[in-house]
Amino acid sequence: MQNTDRVISSAGPTARPPVRAAADLLSRARPTQVRLWIMTAVMAAAAVVWLLPFIWVVVTSLKPTPDIIRVPPEWIPWHLTGEHYNEVLFSSSRTARIGRAFLNSTIISLGSVALVLVTSAMAAYPLARMRFPGRNLIFATLVGSLMVPNVVTLVPQYILIQQLGWLSTFQGLIVPEAGVVLAFGIFLLRQFFLNIPTELEDAARIDGANAWQIFVRIILPLSHPALGALAIFAFRSAWNDFLWPLIAVNKPDMFPLPVALALLRGAYSSESYGPIMAGAALSAVPLFVVFLVANRRIVEGMQLSGLKG
Amino acid sequence: MGRAVTVFAGRRRPPRGRISLTPYLFLLPACLLFLVFRVYPLINGLWLSFTNARLGRAQYSFVGISNYEKLLDDPRFLHSLVNTAYYTVASTLPILALPLLLAVLLNRGIAFKALLRGAFFFPFTLSVVTVGLTWLWLLDPVVGPFNYYMRRLGLPLPSLLAEPATAMWGIVLTSLWWVTGYYLVIYLAGLQDIPRHLYEAAAIDGASGWRSFWSITVPLLRPVFLFVFVIHIIGSFQIFGQVFVMTQGGPGDGTRTVVQHLYETAFQSLFAFGSASAMAWVLFAVILVFSLLQFRILRGHAEY
Repeated sequence: MQNTDRVISSAGPTARPPVRAAADLLSRARPTQVRLWIMTAVMAAAAVVWLLPFIWVVVTSLKPTPDIIRVPPEWIPWHLTGEHYNEVLFSSSRTARIGRAFLNSTIISLGSVALVLVTSAMAAYPLARMRFPGRNLIFATLVGSLMVPNVVTLVPQYILIQQLGWLSTFQGLIVPEAGVVLAFGIFLLRQFFLNIPTELEDAARIDGANAWQIFVRIILPLSHPALGALAIFAFRSAWNDFLWPLIAVNKPDMFPLPVALALLRGAYSSESYGPIMAGAALSAVPLFVVFLVANRRIVEGMQLSGLKG
Repeated sequence: MGRAVTVFAGRRRPPRGRISLTPYLFLLPACLLFLVFRVYPLINGLWLSFTNARLGRAQYSFVGISNYEKLLDDPRFLHSLVNTAYYTVASTLPILALPLLLAVLLNRGIAFKALLRGAFFFPFTLSVVTVGLTWLWLLDPVVGPFNYYMRRLGLPLPSLLAEPATAMWGIVLTSLWWVTGYYLVIYLAGLQDIPRHLYEAAAIDGASGWRSFWSITVPLLRPVFLFVFVIHIIGSFQIFGQVFVMTQGGPGDGTRTVVQHLYETAFQSLFAFGSASAMAWVLFAVILVFSLLQFRILRGHAEY
């Protein structure tokens, strides 16, 4: 409705084609404003309901244990407490590994992002800009690999990491996580590089710049949007991955957050509800912050991203 | 024309008779990573599926197709395959329809569109473990609000996750909440690509909103449907995290899925790498067949 109005008004009041004028009449005939706010209210209510499950997690994490298991459920934490957060982050009990896991997840995710950005940008550049034997084969292989489900390589990858002596190490998590996102990253960045006009590069080449200088000084600075989208995508992928770290790590000190949380659930009892919910809420914080800052970019990145969930 | 020539000249390597090393040097790190951590495991996995490899067994030997034959006689594997297919079928309609409904509503005139879209997208930023714990807690039979309100409404459900017949629907509900935001965003992108003038023309011809939806939106979204459909099928055949966190495959193997069975076979009970690799390749084959079928059924060009 809004868009229709905008299109029509931008066509200008003087040269209004008859068809447009008719559409204009139609849209004016409906009480557009009222409908807009009713729709907004309905969707806002739906959005609140949609978020209730997680609101319940946060509310639970802020209640003292006796209140947590009270029926009927209380949606307002009357006796606000930070004891569960204190326990999972700082105490030395069995639940205390969440703080450490948070640190592990941060290292793994940032390491994976860095590795993905460097390798896929370097690979995407010649695939977008140079002609050389094998180019199409390499690109087709990379894109084809996007169709292979990760679970197919789970066992052999475990054997490989074991042979490298990388079980329960940061590199044993960072490198395979980067490998999962790599092909997609190359695909995404190549598409973006293809749309950068070549004039700047031609000028630089005439001035004597070599391929590496062009890549670093021209292509990369012009590609911030795509690199940002890929960084967020790779961060989310590594931060949230569960199955690979579940098998590749067997030292509790090396668990990333999803594994630490899942194993905390193994000690499921009424005293654990609070710490588990505090851990779950904490694990959501980094992506929530990224999300608030870069809402639009994340959505665009996801739309570009396509192939991986 | 002049522009095209410039572009072409900029990209073409001068014909010097020797191949420049430059592109290969740029590609080297990525290819190394790709070959060692993607291609080699893929091939090695196929080989392993024809061997009797086990965790800790240094020497293993070729056993032909016996791993695959044994899978056909493994009732738990077959059961997990059926469960996975059940989950996939059960989740497909809700996971295709709900995000589409929300996307259409958000795409119409509405205030705070980015904020509302963000609210629906939020669960997708959570890890599968956080999502699983959230719903486990929500569906808790004793203190969970879901069951409490169902009782108050006079719909006393026996705890969703505690009954073999309904547990999978608890998993479907959880997945729906997790991925709706992602597909919503994909649908929104598709909706924004549909030219507005088609709706204007339809409105002038007297078409109702419902009629426009079926005659314009649905057919023109076909490529997006296909994409969402294929991604959903590939994802749901690999479902694992929700089950691992919420039910551990129970009750009574009611939610045991292929990946969970594979995980337990390889890493929890038998440590049978050969057999687990065979499972992975059976799953791969099933996913491939489904994807190709979908391409055949839904293929077609959107023209406007």
